[in-house]
Amino acid sequence: MWGSGILNGMRITMRNMLRGPITVMYPEQKLVIPERARWAVAQLYDADGNPKCTACRICENECPDHVLSVVVSPIEGGGKHIDDYVYEVGACMMCGLCVEACPYDAIEMSHEYELATRDPHDLVRVLLHDVDAASPRRVKGGDDA
Amino acid sequence: MSTALGVLARFGAMIGLLLVNGVVLIYMLRKVLGRLHLRIGPNRVGPWGILQTINDVIKLLTKEDLRPDSADAWLFNIAPFLIFVPSFMAYIPLVFGPTLAVTSLDTGLLLAFALTSLVPLGVLMAGWSSNSKWSLLGGMRAAGLQIAYEVPLLLSALGPVMMAGSLDPVKIVAAQSGVWLGFIPRWFVLPQLIAFVVYAISSQAETQQTPFDMSEAESELITGFANEYGGMRFSFMYLAEFSNMFVVSAIGTMLFFGGWQLPWLATPAWLAPLVFMAKTYTGIFVMMWARGSLPRFRVDQMLSFCWKVLIPVSLAWVVLWACIQRLWPVVSVAVSR
Repeated sequence: MWGSGILNGMRITMRNMLRGPITVMYPEQKLVIPERARWAVAQLYDADGNPKCTACRICENECPDHVLSVVVSPIEGGGKHIDDYVYEVGACMMCGLCVEACPYDAIEMSHEYELATRDPHDLVRVLLHDVDAASPRRVKGGDDA
Repeated sequence: MSTALGVLARFGAMIGLLLVNGVVLIYMLRKVLGRLHLRIGPNRVGPWGILQTINDVIKLLTKEDLRPDSADAWLFNIAPFLIFVPSFMAYIPLVFGPTLAVTSLDTGLLLAFALTSLVPLGVLMAGWSSNSKWSLLGGMRAAGLQIAYEVPLLLSALGPVMMAGSLDPVKIVAAQSGVWLGFIPRWFVLPQLIAFVVYAISSQAETQQTPFDMSEAESELITGFANEYGGMRFSFMYLAEFSNMFVVSAIGTMLFFGGWQLPWLATPAWLAPLVFMAKTYTGIFVMMWARGSLPRFRVDQMLSFCWKVLIPVSLAWVVLWACIQRLWPVVSVAVSR
């Protein structure tokens, strides 16, 4: 009443002005991303550089957007071979359900957020190609034991 | 120096000031709005983005000059100049220093207000001739609002005019030199506080700044009357808008804040224009501050606020002040006896 709301609004904007900008000059300066941030899905590797993925395909089944597809072929004498682990980053909504579902902690939500690209083909990523899957059996005395 | 050359020099100085003002004010508006909204504002072209406006000017100058097929060609072409020329001529009565003014007129204030009141005519013309619903709505709103808000604007200027006893800006500024009671600067804003508030509100409406920018209303009318314009014609309208801002702020400085004079101190002639510009730009900053803070009002709210609040208040204040000024000598004489 009597313009008190107007004065209050102007007080708040002046306080903002004195506080200084919270935006940064982006490509030159970048903000620190919080640990919990969820961006593009990435594979994790063990100490020897082999993928931790066991090709169980739980992530593929769990994904609500069907952006993951794991093409698997059996190896004679036991075990699985991953022909392709395909990830459509352009259709991913970064919900993180695949990471939560993964029983072997083989994938993570990375902090890679600069996902814009000039080539649409870059939006379909092949994360793994022609590698043997890790054994799901837990090694005695190993990390997971 | 011949008279013609003098006139030409003054004309050149006016247009130079107007263009520099336009460039500086556009940059200032973007920076101020950015900072009010916790942003940086322009920061790419030149250091701190200071060349951004120059960039925009070059862009507007080199753009194709388009006119809609169904527009009324003659009116469409002439409207930007009808908006621009009055706001350019309104620089004539401004007093930048004791000896620095384009010309001295006994009715300079009247001239300034008469010229600024021509602007809605051009806006209405631009809106109508564009032959577009948005433009027409913008033009109609401008006609309705700006003409309505001219009444309190003029009435609020009457108080300082009565105190100075003149319509000549030089005399109005001169009447504000010295102090009251030994320490209060004789600025008319103190006794005329009500008139100043009315002036501040209605000048914001007169220059179509955001709480009252119904004629542009980006979110409803997509820049309203200027909708169909581009390139040079648009930049004339844009320039006129910022020039009007400067003019109303400068008139407010002359009427209420002692013009080019420093408080308490004698102002040297070389400092006077700087003091005047500093006061005027402070006024413009407050206008931008309000622009960055407040949402747009509804048309009917604004019109009823003008006719039902501002005009009665300013009329009552004029009558009251006239009575005070007439009766004060009588009363003071009676009291002193």
